[in-house]
Amino acid sequence: MRQSFSEWTKSGAPWVWLNAGAVAICLIMVIGLLSLIAVRGLGHFWPADVVQGTYVENDHSVRLIGERVQTEIVPAEQLRGSGVTVAENVEEMHRSLMKVGNRDHGGTDFIWIIDDFLGNKEKPEMLFTAERREWGNFYGYLRGIKEEGKLVASHDGYESSPEYQILWDALQNRIERVTSIQEKIDHIEKGEISSINYELERLRLKERSLQLKEVVETAPYQAITDRRLELDAEYESLQSELLALYKAINRDSITAEIANGQVVELKIAAIVRAFLPNDMGLGGKLVHYFQKLWEFVSTDPREANTEGGIFPAIFGTVMMVLIMSVIVTPFGVIAAVYLREYARQGFVTRLIRIAVNNLAGVPSIVYGVFGLGFFVYFLGGHIDDAFFPEAKPAPTFGTPGLMWASITLALLTVPVVIVATEEGLTRIPRAVREGSLALGATKFETLMKIVIPMASPAIMTGVILAIARAAGEVAPLMLVGVVKLAPSLPLDLNYPYLHLDQKFMHLGFHIYDVGFQSPNVEAARPLVYATALLLVIVIALLNLTAIQIRNHLREKFKALEM
Amino acid sequence: MTSEAKTHAIDISSLQRDNQVLNLEEETLALEVKDLKLCYGDNEALHGIDMQIPKNRVTAFIGPSGCGKSTLLRCFNRMNDLVDDCRITGQILLDENNIYDRSVEIAELRRRVGMVFQKPNPFPKSIYENVAYGLRIQGVTKKRIIDETVEWALKSAALWDEVKDRLHESALGMSGGQQQRLVIARTIAVKPEVLLLDEPASALDPISTLKIEELIHELKKDFTIVIVTHNMQQAARVSDYTAFMYMGDLIEFGVTDTLFTNPEKKQTEDYITGRYG
Repeated sequence: MRQSFSEWTKSGAPWVWLNAGAVAICLIMVIGLLSLIAVRGLGHFWPADVVQGTYVENDHSVRLIGERVQTEIVPAEQLRGSGVTVAENVEEMHRSLMKVGNRDHGGTDFIWIIDDFLGNKEKPEMLFTAERREWGNFYGYLRGIKEEGKLVASHDGYESSPEYQILWDALQNRIERVTSIQEKIDHIEKGEISSINYELERLRLKERSLQLKEVVETAPYQAITDRRLELDAEYESLQSELLALYKAINRDSITAEIANGQVVELKIAAIVRAFLPNDMGLGGKLVHYFQKLWEFVSTDPREANTEGGIFPAIFGTVMMVLIMSVIVTPFGVIAAVYLREYARQGFVTRLIRIAVNNLAGVPSIVYGVFGLGFFVYFLGGHIDDAFFPEAKPAPTFGTPGLMWASITLALLTVPVVIVATEEGLTRIPRAVREGSLALGATKFETLMKIVIPMASPAIMTGVILAIARAAGEVAPLMLVGVVKLAPSLPLDLNYPYLHLDQKFMHLGFHIYDVGFQSPNVEAARPLVYATALLLVIVIALLNLTAIQIRNHLREKFKALEM
Repeated sequence: MTSEAKTHAIDISSLQRDNQVLNLEEETLALEVKDLKLCYGDNEALHGIDMQIPKNRVTAFIGPSGCGKSTLLRCFNRMNDLVDDCRITGQILLDENNIYDRSVEIAELRRRVGMVFQKPNPFPKSIYENVAYGLRIQGVTKKRIIDETVEWALKSAALWDEVKDRLHESALGMSGGQQQRLVIARTIAVKPEVLLLDEPASALDPISTLKIEELIHELKKDFTIVIVTHNMQQAARVSDYTAFMYMGDLIEFGVTDTLFTNPEKKQTEDYITGRYG
């Protein structure tokens, strides 16, 4: 039977459709966003085939070796306008961005080419890619291996052969050797020598503080001098060890033919890994992919953050959020307990509540300015005056750092925790409170033993919201503690282990820095997506942990549904 | 007027009570209320109550809703202090000391005068921890003492056999009747002198109610019990003395049997015969 329009409206069906539609749009947007950054970001680590071809433009022909990064269509008119000779009947042409690498030889590692002008396209199996510690990727043909300047193995021609395989294996062995030496160097430089430097600096401060206190006995000075001499000796021995290692690492080099036919020499010490992308099977590519992915999340950045990993940024983000939670939770809970349980309800408490809610709406950059002005310069400056006079004029806490960033974000998120906790406190049944009071518990005991534990799921809800907000916040951090590249992690083995005064790296800021402040935008773009994906994952993981804790608490205090 | 002529809602003789007519003069007093007035804001809820509550007896407060019986009960352990703008004048003597005296420690008073509420309100803790709560609040830390007291309290509340194998499970998994007996155990674990029961069985099924009533009968030996109830049969079954309250006044107070069979006041008779309330 046909239904009239008004009946259909009355039945509520359009309303249901509208609701479902709104939900569907939200879902599509979220999934779309996540898949875009996932595809763009994760695709970057897949080893692309390296193409070789002859590029002919205006009767000028060169050999070109590189990876195709992206392709777009351009109108022929535009190309003609920029002086490219294009046939009359062509309307539009394909243009590709090629990563040709070898920045130290060609000057730039990305070039735009017109696809039709690239002839004799092939993917020679002998072509190799080398990831280097500096100057970006290297593409070319391996020609020989040198040890202390003397050629020990070589190969010519463009066809793969058993000899070439032997040469290649020798290269891999030597790269392994170099990597292990590099690890030793890193261990000495970033571990032992940095510890010595740290201790020397502490000795210097100690000496300075003795001088400031006008201590006249010589014994403490003597102790410092003795210790310094010991450290200097240790440093000398490490230095000579390093020298030997550097000599060993620089022993080998390779010769390789690059795109223009020139044979160049390359230190093996500069190579992170070398592989034959066109000769890799699916399995090999997968292994390579996951190696790259692991490198991305577990190592330090290289080359102005455009290569290598982002581990310090992940670490800094998590660290900052954890410290922020540790500060904001007790602060928010205590404030909420006072507002809800102790303060006389009336005009003033209403006013405070309104103020707290408005605080949540203040733009975050304002918090950054406040943090810089009040926490860093005022509080930090006074802390330095009072506790670290020996370090002056260099500031200790009077400069942006991890602690100030955490406190600024705690201030930013405290309204959320207060509101959630108050909500939780009001929901505790009166009967349970009275039950505790009737047993002779004081109000304080009732709060500590019954009310706050029962409100803990609500408190956790507040903390979850706080974490979600704080982890994604970048603007205030730029003023109070985040840097592009931190020399060391805020948590290490040097006393006092947690360095709250240090600056740190943050994923959100890393995205901004890599994407917009990088000298090599083309190389950095995929990393922006990968970092964004990682930021989302880190926030999701932090939240999931908090939600897990809350669900556990909820299970424990189910009595609320009495 | 003969007793046959009356139409009582309750047949006292069929209850076969063992305690005979008691005389207030022979009793030791646990609580004494002197000219107690209570106001919520401008609204006076109790208009000068005078009453004596005998020791180791069960005293029931009956009366229609809003008559002030729960309010009076909550005065005995100063629960009304929690209510904003509630003012109290007059005296309540516990061992001849006024509990509304400035020097009285409220937490200490509530330890001596325990209270069980209408709805079971166990804490979201284990059964054991619920009973041990009051002791821990008092600073008892010796496990042996706590263990013994928990066992004694649960046995006294006739709950031990049902829960002895799951002492460390959550109290929230118990039935309503068990929860209410747990709350009673929790209250008696701190060994109060007076036990206030505010309609303790009104949220329970008949079997649980019966158990609570039996329990009250048992607990009378050790505690002075004051019970507020809506249920007149219950008052008649469990109490030795009954107070009938109406509109914030104590209308009649007497030995339960007498009050139900031969009330002195017309209002009392009207109420117990079901003419209003």
